Amino acid sequence: MKALDIAFKDLLRAFKTPFVLIMMFGAPLLITGLLYLAFGSLAGGGDLDLQTVRVQVANLDRPGAQSGGFAAGEMLVEFLQSEDLGDMLEVTLADGEGAARKAVEEQQADVAVIIPHDFTAAALASGREATVVQYEDPTLTIGPGIVEDLVSQFIDGFAGAKIAAGVVTQQLAADETVAQEAALAYAAWLESSGHGHGDETTPSVDSRPPAGVGESASEGTGTIGAIMIAMTIFFAFFMGANSAESIIREDEEGTLERLFTTPTSQAIILGGKFLTVVLTLIVQVVVLLLASGLIFGIKWGQPLTVFLVTLGLIVVAAGFGVLLMSFVKNTRQTGPVMGGVLTLTGMLGGLFTSGVPNIPEAFDTVRLVMPQGWAMYGWELALQGSGVGGVLLPVGVMLGLGALLFAVGVILFRKRFA
Amino acid sequence: MRILNLAGKDLLQIVRDWKSALFLVVMPILFTLFFGFVFAPVQAEDDPRLPVGLVNQDPAGSLAAGLKDVLAASDVVRPVTLDETEKDQIDKQVRRGDLAAVIIVPQDFSRQALAGESPQLTVIADRATTAGQTAHSGIETAASRLMGAVETAHISATERDAREGFSSQIARQAYLEEAVDLAIASWQTPPIRVTAEQATGAATEEEAPSGFAQSSPGMMIQFAIFGLITSAMVLVLERKTGALRRLMTTPTHRATIIGGHVLAMFLVVFFQQALLVAVGQLLFDVDYLQAPLATLAMMVTLSMFAASLGLLIGALATKEEQVITWSLIAMFLFAALGGAWFPLEVAGETFAVIGHVTPTAWAMDGLQNIVVRSQGLGSVLLPAGILLAYAAMFLGIAVWQFRYE
Repeated sequence: MKALDIAFKDLLRAFKTPFVLIMMFGAPLLITGLLYLAFGSLAGGGDLDLQTVRVQVANLDRPGAQSGGFAAGEMLVEFLQSEDLGDMLEVTLADGEGAARKAVEEQQADVAVIIPHDFTAAALASGREATVVQYEDPTLTIGPGIVEDLVSQFIDGFAGAKIAAGVVTQQLAADETVAQEAALAYAAWLESSGHGHGDETTPSVDSRPPAGVGESASEGTGTIGAIMIAMTIFFAFFMGANSAESIIREDEEGTLERLFTTPTSQAIILGGKFLTVVLTLIVQVVVLLLASGLIFGIKWGQPLTVFLVTLGLIVVAAGFGVLLMSFVKNTRQTGPVMGGVLTLTGMLGGLFTSGVPNIPEAFDTVRLVMPQGWAMYGWELALQGSGVGGVLLPVGVMLGLGALLFAVGVILFRKRFA
Repeated sequence: MRILNLAGKDLLQIVRDWKSALFLVVMPILFTLFFGFVFAPVQAEDDPRLPVGLVNQDPAGSLAAGLKDVLAASDVVRPVTLDETEKDQIDKQVRRGDLAAVIIVPQDFSRQALAGESPQLTVIADRATTAGQTAHSGIETAASRLMGAVETAHISATERDAREGFSSQIARQAYLEEAVDLAIASWQTPPIRVTAEQATGAATEEEAPSGFAQSSPGMMIQFAIFGLITSAMVLVLERKTGALRRLMTTPTHRATIIGGHVLAMFLVVFFQQALLVAVGQLLFDVDYLQAPLATLAMMVTLSMFAASLGLLIGALATKEEQVITWSLIAMFLFAALGGAWFPLEVAGETFAVIGHVTPTAWAMDGLQNIVVRSQGLGSVLLPAGILLAYAAMFLGIAVWQFRYE
């Protein structure tokens, strides 16, 4: 009972401190919220929320009299300015190639499309070639990729017609008229088959996301779930250590020594302190899970599985915190030790790379060297909808490791106050 | 002279504290290294294109080979042949980003296509990622070219039918396949094409910027703010211990006291950046020194911004805990919103617009103008000016709110 009194007193004191409240609830929700705002529906497993791409077009195309009014460059400009692409592109006509390039260099535009002077001639005459130059800002990847894709699709129509004419000529030794008919037949096929530039999808391609991506998103376990749990784990480990720090602080302030002079045994006093760590973590993790579920719509998984991984996280974070603080001599050391050790172990445990694609496979193994890695692994399984059986290994490791770290930490503290 | 003495005292206090080395030097280098590797573009060392797996379930047909040739000619993707035994791993490889996408050529695909039917290739790609979306577009282009080659063969065969016809179905089939081969060969160098050129001054169109081009300036900015913990703490401790009050009893002018603290903070951030620039240049191949004056201008103005923010935190905080809390909040907000963690391009439109109001976004712009866009002093004048304006604003508020006890 006395241990509980001590724990509640410490808990009350902690919850009156703005710093503790910010680190317990504010920081993890703030970081996840920022990333949620940044990536919008993508973070929740939806499509990319793309920014409008600013395009400068320099149309240098000069169709000759023999083109019969056909102007390929003008067609490309009209295509890029079409209403269908209005949400995606913001197209401006530039006064020449130099102006278009300068706009990109001065970051007034993301991409410049430079249509060469012989574009129409190359589209019409056999044996002639032309290259459209796309000048792009090197810090960007998505916008230039979209523009290049659209321009490629458009000019592939001309290129395909020329290739059709060339193949017919080559196979049948045909004359110019037959070649032109072949080019027209190809253009008609493009128009009717849905392979042309105006089509949103290519009919010859049937796409699907990789197994695991679509399903998890539909269950509300998109990237945002992984980010939120990573932040929860990081700040749970922080609070585990921060709560255990109260032992050192009270020791420095002399209040612990005064407590030891009372009839309450040292075991009960220290037990109350350790209970504070566990109670703090219970409150923190439960509040964060509920709050993030409500704010970001995250579904954490099956209730019993979530209970087990929550229990594992609390035990391992408490054990790690108590052990870490048992090595610290005074409160001046706690800040950097917590900051340094928890950041490094969190980094290696994969807490700062959750939801990031293309992480080397070996990292999945490396992260399990850290207790944070096991916590992350267990929670990832829970988020994927795994049952109790699926999380037994990570939960077992977290409970075992947590108990071990906790025991060593307690022994070291008791030695210190013996 | 007194201002230098005061700054020297602060610097000595900061340097003697071993925690400074951790926050100012070790952690930013580790984070730069870590995020540089994590956010490195997916590419082979000798081929910057996105890897796309190709599973051929139609080995008797000729079109899978044609598709591979068309993909090989792409500027965006490169084909990686997968055998049937690797089929079970496909989804995992795409999910993990080892492959940007996988194309499955289904059984009987070639026969159906050459017979004028409309078979489909199965493409597995996570289009919610940049790599997946880019690879998917590249695959659609390649598929359209492949089907265009098949249509070319049909057009040619129809013309031949009209002229002399075929002696047998086998002859027709051989003719079609020859036409497809000819068309695919032509698609290797299309007569009308688009080429991408990066606005870097130098022609470096093949090489994508490394992950360090983002992580090095990003972490430099983040830890310029995070490093304020140690210097703002000095100010709070001076106030707490009464040292500031004692200073006021001496003939030292108030402006000198504040100036000494700001100068110390400025020097701490400036030397931290000098070290990180050197590490970025020598270890991570981030070329800050291609425009040394521009880099210096950014370092000076970023240090002034950070120092004035540090003074503001030190002026407002009454306890050490508050210094840590406010420094962390400032770091999280400015670093995330300003694009220090990830390029603002990948964030949503509203986020990017809001982000560009922050001084850190301008700092990122200025530093990336140097290391990615290969631009000179002129390109950093606006970002540096905006950092100076922020520095003046924070300094004004800090001086206004400065308390000596």
